[in-house]
Formats: sequence, structure tokens, C-alpha cells
Amino acid sequence: MRNAFIDTILTACREREDIFILSGDAGLGVFDDFKKDFPERFLNLGVAEQNTISFAAGLSMSGHKVLVYNIIPFLLYRCYEQVRNDICYQQLPIIMAGIGCGLTYAPQGMTHYSVEDIGIARGLPNLTVLSPADPIEAKSAALFALQSDAPVYVRLAKRGEPNLHTDHTLDIGQPLVLAEGERIAVLCHSVIAEEALKARTKLANVGIYPRIISIPMLQPMNKAALVEMLKDVRIVLSVEEHYVSCGLGALLLELVHEFGLNHTLLRLGLPDHFIHDIYNTAGMRAHFGIDANGIAAAVHRLLDQKIIPAGAEHAYPASLQP
Amino acid sequence: MKPLSDTAKEIRKTIIEMAHRSKSPHVGSSLSCADILTTLYFDTMRLDPWEQRDVFILSKAHAAMALYSTLAHKGIMSRPQIEGYYQNGGTLPAHLDRAPQCGVEVSGGSLGHGFNMGIGLAFGFKRKNQNRKVYALIGDGESQEGSIWEGALFAPKVGADNFTAIMDHNNLQGYGRPTQICCFDPMRDKWEAFGWHTLEVNGHDFEALRCALKEDSQGKPKMIIARTTKGKGVSFMQDQLIWHYYIVTDDHKHQALEELA
Repeated sequence: MRNAFIDTILTACREREDIFILSGDAGLGVFDDFKKDFPERFLNLGVAEQNTISFAAGLSMSGHKVLVYNIIPFLLYRCYEQVRNDICYQQLPIIMAGIGCGLTYAPQGMTHYSVEDIGIARGLPNLTVLSPADPIEAKSAALFALQSDAPVYVRLAKRGEPNLHTDHTLDIGQPLVLAEGERIAVLCHSVIAEEALKARTKLANVGIYPRIISIPMLQPMNKAALVEMLKDVRIVLSVEEHYVSCGLGALLLELVHEFGLNHTLLRLGLPDHFIHDIYNTAGMRAHFGIDANGIAAAVHRLLDQKIIPAGAEHAYPASLQP
Repeated sequence: MKPLSDTAKEIRKTIIEMAHRSKSPHVGSSLSCADILTTLYFDTMRLDPWEQRDVFILSKAHAAMALYSTLAHKGIMSRPQIEGYYQNGGTLPAHLDRAPQCGVEVSGGSLGHGFNMGIGLAFGFKRKNQNRKVYALIGDGESQEGSIWEGALFAPKVGADNFTAIMDHNNLQGYGRPTQICCFDPMRDKWEAFGWHTLEVNGHDFEALRCALKEDSQGKPKMIIARTTKGKGVSFMQDQLIWHYYIVTDDHKHQALEELA
């Protein structure tokens, strides 16, 4: 996924003189070819995150299209105020490419996880927030970011994610149906979509066909389009590798309220605590009940009507284990 | 052309009037750097043609009244804009909201941002082969920000020799003296050790400021440590901690304008 995103940017660099890439001492090997071809358009600004973001803002004001690449906590958290004041407040068209969304880096430890970044980024007006599910969405996110005249934050994984879409011309601004289905819709963003599709394969064996929808653009989110996609289902399950309280789960509660939806809603994701558990990414997903098994089990429970009214529940995955 | 000292006096008068009308703080911080801004805008900086102008960034953005006043006297900002400063439904906030067309080049208010944006901007101008210089004014209190030293490490590395930082060293921050609050000195040695062309001048001596600003920086970014007096020009405000935050009353205004007459 990361490579699909970066390759799209690098291809654009061959046609656009104004693109400049800043790295915060991250991405070993990622920019090797670029540095060879365009040594004058790349800078490693080292382990100095505040300076990197402010420098990017200044460089952008001089008429460059700037991409800043770093691991998400060092792109968005360490230097949050620089992102807020220097990039977003001034509405500069900078691309912030964040690596290590969700639990990509497990088991590196909590400092390297990005399980609240959507909540943080959503508090920044002017900022488009993209959470692509596969390399095709990542490429589309890159194309969107390149033409945007406002700041764009893209959260990426880098574990060799497979293509989930077949349509290479998708519109990254819309909720996207990954698999058609009926009765129940499973909403997700980012790489957990792969688990949702695996769950769907399991469920298909017993005649259950949930509709799987990826929502790559979480800010601004096309809520009306999503509501339209949910018109013919009664049950909605959301899944994310992110805190439910400030991620898609929170967005859905807003949606329920704003549109007066009366769907049964269950929200899977990470509970609000710091993660001390030691697992790799797959192990973490199983542990928190957001892997294919956890998602399939939740679908079964929802269809068995062992359910809680919309908005009143807090999905706690342990209780949903089969 | 008017002597710079006369212009600076007019700029200070406008600062007092703005502070009085608005009841906003930071009048001492604004008076402190008035001579530096006067020298920059009325002597050093190229502002014509506007599209190719040199850029000044007020990184210590709490001294916004000094910038607004200077821009107004230079004819870049209008009288009504100045009159709407810090008013309900007004025109200008107490810290900076970017508006390049009227001289507010970057937003600011949180310390340790403008300095680093200035380095990026200067680097960008060089990359575009534009012969434009960037000046950033930082405070001595602001020099406690980690981001300042991140920028200090990198500006010489990226060859930003068109970037000049000026430190308004009045030795009074919000709640004390920088030289007592932290291990401030030797400040000049610090910047020299970081690879900057470093000068130290009297920040109220126009000729010294002019020379320092014009001096060739030998391929390095430049740091001018300008020794200043907070509240400069108004006797009862000079070097007084309280005038970081105090409000200008009718009596204060009357006396201050008399002294600046």
C-alpha cells in the first residue's frame, strides 16, 4: 500500500517540478530511486519533527508542493501544534503521508501505534483525512492529494496489503462498496477491510452475505452517500483498527443522530486504553476481536438478534468471541 | 527622506494609541522591537515589486502591534484596519492571522513557529532561484523553545544564507528575565557554534542595525542578537516586567505620547 502511494507521487514528480519531499528520518529505502533522480528535491530533516513541519509550511508558501513523510506519531502527535497552526490554519496544500496506521507496527509498542490519529486529525478544519484500505485506494488517495489545494493527511500501512478493489478508477471521496450483500452492512476504513472481506467469505459458506463498505475519506465524509448505501439494510456493523471512541465508531453515532437512523448498530474496534499486550498485527486483531473470526462472530450475533439498540452499546469485542 | 528615528517615533505613537484603544497587552514587547522593524521596513527590505519582495516574519507574534503599526506607516496596511485592531467585529487579532496582501506573511502567536517557517521559505526561494531574503524576529524568551534549536541545527545545513534571524533581546519575558530563568548565556557563542554568522548589536542604534542587516553572512544563515530595552521610548515602561501585560490607561497614554512628541 505504501509503495502504491509513494510510486504515484514519484511518477508525478517526473512531470511536476514543484513537488518536494521531506522525510523525518524515516522510510529507509523508500526514496532511494527518487534521491538518485532528483537529489535536489528531497531532504531528510532528521529527528526534529517541529522544525520539519514548520519548514514544510515555509517551503509550501514559496510555491512548492510539499510532501512530508514520517511515522504517524512523529508526523501528527509530536508536532501537533505545528500541523494545526502552520499547515491547517494557514490552509497550505501540504501532503502529510503517515506510515504505520493502526497496529501496523505491532509489537513495537504503544508509542508507535496510531489508534487515535483520526480523532486528532478530525479536529483540524481544512484537513482532508484519508484512510485507504488497499493499494488501489492508496493510489487514488495520492492522486487526490496531488491536486488538492488544501492540506491532506493520508494514513498508510506497509505490510504488503493485497488489492481489495477491482475498479482502478474509484472515487476516493465516496464510501466504496467492496462486496455487495444484503441485510447487514459492514463499514470499515483502512486495512482492516481485508479482515472484513475474509469474514464475508466465511459467512458466505453459511449463506450470509454482508455488504462490505470501505470509507476511505473520513473528513470530509460523504454522509449522505453512506446513508443512501444503508437504505436497504437494517443492521450496521463497523470495524476499525482504531479507538472506536474517536474513529469511525464516533462518526457513525453522529450520523445516526444527524440523519435520524434507526439501524441496529454495533461498533467494533479498539477500546479506550493504552495497549500493553504483546502481539503482532494479526495477533492484536484476534485479541481485540477485529479479525475475520471476530467480525464473523459479531455478524452472527447481530443476525441472531442478540442485539442492543443503536447508540446505547459499546461494542466490547471479548464478549463477541465465538 | 525622514530619519529612521522620526519614523520609529511615529510607529511607537501608533502602538500606544492601539494599545490604549484596545486595552490589549504586550505594549512593552511591541515598543522593544519598533526600531528593528523600522530599520527593516524603511531601509533594509526590498518591497518593490511586491511579488518579489523580501519577507519579514514576526515570530514573536505577541508584538503584533509593532508590525501592524509599521505596516500602516509604510502604507501596506490601512488606517481602518489599524482602528479595528482587537475590537469586537474588528479587523486584526492580537496575534497574527496570515494575510500576505497586507503584510502579515505568516500566522503566529505560539512561539517557535515563525522562525522555522522562515527557514523553509528562504530555502524555497533559493530553490526557485528567486533573489528574495527572509527575516524573522524572535524573542529571547522564545529562544527557550526546542523548535528554535531544531531550526538552528538545520538552517546552516540546507544553505539558507538568505535567512536572517534577529533576536529581540530585552531580557524580560512574561514572568522574569531569560538570563535568570534558563542557562541563556553565552548566547552568541551558542549560535556561532551552531554554524550561524552571528552578530551582536544595540537594537536601538539604527546605524548598527543597518550595518548588521547588510553585512555579508559568508554563505551562512545570520543571527543578529539585538540588545534592546522592553518598553523603549516610554520612561515608565522601560525594562519593567509588568509592561509585558499591563493595559494602557488614559493617563498612561497621555504621558507616553508626551514623551514621544
